[in-house]
Amino acid sequence: MKKYCGPYCLILLLALAACKKAYEPQVIATDYHFLVIEGVINAGSNAVTTILLNRTKSLGDSSAPNPELGAQVFIEGEAGGSFQLQSQGAGMYNSAALSLNTSGKYRLRIVTSNGKIYQSDFVPAKQTPPIDSVTWKQDKGVTLYVYAHDPQNATRYYRWDYMETWLYRSPVSGSLGLNNGQIFFLDSTTQITDCWTTAPSHNIAIASTEALAQDVISNIPIAQIQQNDEKMGIRYSSNVKQYGITKEAYQYWQIIEKSSQQTGGIFDPQPSQLSGNFHCISDPNEPVIGFASMSVVTEKRIFIDYRELTGWFYSNKPGNQCDPIIIGQNANFLLYNYPDTTYIPSYFVSGGGLVIVKKVCLDCRRRGGTNSKPSFWK
Amino acid sequence: MITCLLLVSFRVAAQDTTYISIDLTNVSFQKFIEEMEKISPLRFYYDAAETDSLLVTVKMDHVQPAVILRQVVQPNGLQFAIDAQGRVFITRKFKIQTALADGFFDKTNTVKDTLREPAAALINPDADKEKLKASLEKKLFDIGTRTNSTARGNAIVVGYIRDGKNGEALSGALVYIDTPVVKTITDQFGYFSIMVPKGRQTLRVSSVGMKDTKRQLMVYGDGKLTVELEDYIASLKAVTVTTDRKSNIRSTQMGVDKVNIRTIKQVPTVLGESDILRVVLTLPGVTSVGEASTGFNVRGGAADQNLILLNDATIYNPSHLFGFFSAFNTDVVKGVELYKSAIPEKYGGRLSSVLDVATRDGNSKKLSGTGGIGVLTSRLTLEGPLDKEKTSFILGGRTTYSDWILKQVPNDAYANSQASFYDLNLNITHTINPKNSLYLTGYISHDKFKLNSDTLYKYGNQNIILKWKHIFNNRFFSVLSLGKDRYEYAIQSDNNPLNAYRLSYDINQTHARAEFTYTPGSKHAFTFGVHSIYYKIHPGSYLPASDRSLVVANQVAAEQALETALYLGDKYTITPDFSINAGLRFSMFNYLGPHDVYQYIPGSPRSTSSILDTIGYASGRNIKTWAGPEIRIAMRYSLSSNASVKLSFNTLRQYIHTLSNTTAISPTDIWKLSDANIPPQQGYQASLGFYRNFPNDIETSVEVYYKRMQHYLDYKSGATLLMNKHIETEVINTSGEAYGAEFMIKKSAGKLNGWLSYTYSRTRLKIDDPIAGETINKGNYYPANFDKPHNVNFIGNYKFSHRLSISINAVYSTGRPITLPIAIFNLAGSQRVYYSDRNQYRVPDYIRGDISVNIEGNHKIKKLAHSSWSLGLYNVLARQNPYSIYFVQESGVIKGYQLSIFGSIIPFLTYNFKF
Repeated sequence: MKKYCGPYCLILLLALAACKKAYEPQVIATDYHFLVIEGVINAGSNAVTTILLNRTKSLGDSSAPNPELGAQVFIEGEAGGSFQLQSQGAGMYNSAALSLNTSGKYRLRIVTSNGKIYQSDFVPAKQTPPIDSVTWKQDKGVTLYVYAHDPQNATRYYRWDYMETWLYRSPVSGSLGLNNGQIFFLDSTTQITDCWTTAPSHNIAIASTEALAQDVISNIPIAQIQQNDEKMGIRYSSNVKQYGITKEAYQYWQIIEKSSQQTGGIFDPQPSQLSGNFHCISDPNEPVIGFASMSVVTEKRIFIDYRELTGWFYSNKPGNQCDPIIIGQNANFLLYNYPDTTYIPSYFVSGGGLVIVKKVCLDCRRRGGTNSKPSFWK
Repeated sequence: MITCLLLVSFRVAAQDTTYISIDLTNVSFQKFIEEMEKISPLRFYYDAAETDSLLVTVKMDHVQPAVILRQVVQPNGLQFAIDAQGRVFITRKFKIQTALADGFFDKTNTVKDTLREPAAALINPDADKEKLKASLEKKLFDIGTRTNSTARGNAIVVGYIRDGKNGEALSGALVYIDTPVVKTITDQFGYFSIMVPKGRQTLRVSSVGMKDTKRQLMVYGDGKLTVELEDYIASLKAVTVTTDRKSNIRSTQMGVDKVNIRTIKQVPTVLGESDILRVVLTLPGVTSVGEASTGFNVRGGAADQNLILLNDATIYNPSHLFGFFSAFNTDVVKGVELYKSAIPEKYGGRLSSVLDVATRDGNSKKLSGTGGIGVLTSRLTLEGPLDKEKTSFILGGRTTYSDWILKQVPNDAYANSQASFYDLNLNITHTINPKNSLYLTGYISHDKFKLNSDTLYKYGNQNIILKWKHIFNNRFFSVLSLGKDRYEYAIQSDNNPLNAYRLSYDINQTHARAEFTYTPGSKHAFTFGVHSIYYKIHPGSYLPASDRSLVVANQVAAEQALETALYLGDKYTITPDFSINAGLRFSMFNYLGPHDVYQYIPGSPRSTSSILDTIGYASGRNIKTWAGPEIRIAMRYSLSSNASVKLSFNTLRQYIHTLSNTTAISPTDIWKLSDANIPPQQGYQASLGFYRNFPNDIETSVEVYYKRMQHYLDYKSGATLLMNKHIETEVINTSGEAYGAEFMIKKSAGKLNGWLSYTYSRTRLKIDDPIAGETINKGNYYPANFDKPHNVNFIGNYKFSHRLSISINAVYSTGRPITLPIAIFNLAGSQRVYYSDRNQYRVPDYIRGDISVNIEGNHKIKKLAHSSWSLGLYNVLARQNPYSIYFVQESGVIKGYQLSIFGSIIPFLTYNFKF
């Protein structure tokens, strides 16, 4: 703030930087629970469609997502045909592997446990050209860019999301594992030093080539990684998915993007009300959030190693809490019963004795990742 | 002073051939008079009681009677005056003598139908200014051909009111006589025409910021008179400025706010840059959505419903630097008038208001200049005669060094930014002869900015207008004008060679007006005319900006239209207490080819998929005509000499609309003409006002209004407005209503002056367009973006001396409505927000205070340059008034922020000079 409001404020007002401070909205009394429907009807062959159902929460509610459980979800064809999706828990519903007719139109129909019926408009399937390449550039942080083209000039509106996977390491490495108080020696499948975390994208990436002579996607930024982010501390991978979408879907995503991603500049448009293509049949006045669309999905994976970057200082140096303790060995040296259970064995000292370290410093799984190397990892 | 007057009369009298001789010793005064009446044509009037004790001894040869009188009368403490009929009044108290009849001795002064130039002609150039003025006030001017007896009936006196210092025309000056009450107001050229009874009259003149004056007239018939007023600053303390005060009671106009340039310059502003639009925003009934916007809302109208005129040239974007400054150079401006309710019939084409910015004429007497050096800008104005007393010019320019400042900021964020602007004004006034004058106004503004990105924005106005004023006779004159206005902007981005583009937009209008003013008698004053505008808009061209660019050249077809209006108005004074301004304007709008027109399935929501047919129209073909009458009526009834009630009713039509999806006015907003699918905006307003003046120059007023508008354009969510060939699919017809009350107390003169105003106003909109396809807030009324119910403004100036004054400005207003998020949800991996119905919440209230100190240099007349300093603090409370509140997703969490534009105390210092 100081920086913005010092004596140079007069210049700042030029740059519109002005003064920005946090704003806590007054309690907005009513806690609305509108249905939120997310997912794309997958038009590929033998493809599984995943639909997520959630409910909205009040603004100050920081609790976990509010999934809609026990609903019946169907994909229905305009020309007939109904395919029910199976609940996977946590509001997720999966179809069987379907090969839908890509020249037909389909819709989603949802009957919630309270008996309300929600239905989308019928939507056509959009073809999606392959991604030509995903590249990246570093300017302090790293930005990923996508390139694609449609020789038929038919796609025109695109959306991307991606699944990021990155490798991270425990600050302290060890050679021992612990199973029911028994020490064992780790191997490549049980190691707990290297872990992989996978996370979905957080931002909306859309683009249109409507104004271009050719349907060419060139240099469209789809993701940004802050400088020195742990994600690229060792090795990073991103699997980018491309969806050809309709103009209406593009506009819908644009509104969502405008409403929550833009920086609120002076000339930015006012927020608009979301109106997707879902309707609550039982209560036409009830807002429903979501836009049903149907696409073939194409994807491309990219890897980035920290050695390709310049000036990326991700440090996982252990702090004081990772200082090791050396304890004596039990008679049965594989038996471990140290009273402070936050400690686990690390390695045996050659002269006798066991080095133990706090679990959080040693076991990378404690931070959410998995210790088994993903199949695509290279 | 008296001696001087006499000397003056003697100088004139010396040309006369009436010479007499007299020789008397110790006779009574009465005897002396009898002798004088015998030997001269003079008739004497005096009070015998005042003179019965006097004995007169006089011996003079071949002198004028006045010399004898001076010799005899003055040493005895008496005064005398000789009038046009050769009557001599002798009194002991000077004030009884209202006129000095030098005209008696100088018959060549009697003129018919030619302009008199008193200042130039009359008086000994060496005479002291103050004495000159006094003598002009006492001198008797003959109007019309002199006859022996004063005929009955009325005569018309016409002429100009000018600033004595530089010859500049004073518009809006009040010219009146007291018995009977007859008054008129000068037009933009300083011209007036007033009907007065024949005979002896005292014509009074007053104008804002000028010293009041009067002229003694002997009216024999129609004639002309030019009056020059003096700047009140140069004169003594006791001057009061009464124009506004009297006119607010007497004028039929209501809902008009007039601000002169002196007030504008006193009001503290950001960075010390005097700013017309900022001052307009302090007037009752005027609000804006935020500080960084010079777009303003008048009585609940949208920002595009204001007609902004600079000497009758339309200014489409009145702002510089994204809206921080207004694009008017205050050194060139004379004053502004804002019409909020009773809009004269000569104006049209906008629904809410007319902001008339008048520029000064150049100094017709000597070359002079003014200038200023501020934190952000510098300006210089030069003015002077091109041909003495016939042609004068004023040329003003302003530029900024913000580019240089941006480079000095130790912050990377601004390294890539640039911002610059300039504006230029030129006015030339040429008097061909007393019956014909020409006025030329030219204006250019240009802005260029780039905000830490690769996108460069440019925009600018260009205007030129030529006016010819022709006086047919004292009752009838005309003004013909011809002009061209242009506004353009361009956005260029060439960061990515494959997507490099240049987007440009422009609007051009050619306009002509013929206006006639006819004053047949003292009861009626007719104005009638025809006004035509030809529009040519290039709504957008999107072109590749590099050889490698894949951008397809795309152009939205040009639009053209002709707007024509015929108007007639009459100021009808039914009785001195009751008058009516009635006006009728008939406007017609023709949308012309070449253009393609889309036809949509009737009754169903318009979208690209509901297009039935496309009809191509050839060049010049009339595609669609919209036409209708507009009624302008205002009435005034005087309750007493210092109180009146006024009532007005107006209907208006607007054929051009701004398309803007943003809350603030932005330079990239586009103007769209009404066409086959988009009807004109229409509205009416009724208002009622009560005005009361109190002693000590205090004026008070209350006005209430109710207003409705139709076919105001709102947009569908996420509408694309740029480069859209079928805008009609993105807009929604909205109707609205506005109502409010405005209270004002104003002290227009004295050491302490300023005003305090309170406005209550509401504006509600409603989308009830069956073919919109979507509604906002389920078709219910919702508050407009600029609906701010409570507004309090205070502007005060206190003069400690002629060199030191302090101004304080205080503002309070209800926060403007916003749409708040009411729920959050997860979508596409992040938390998102679901927004409430439109404009259901408000940002916190707006409170601000500013203070400035103006220090003038000494007031020596002979000095190379007069200078003044203005320093002050903007936002002394350092309150962080939220301009906008917005919600951003940061690492998957929604965070709310408020943005304050001037969130701390901003000091400023400006140096002004005049030479």
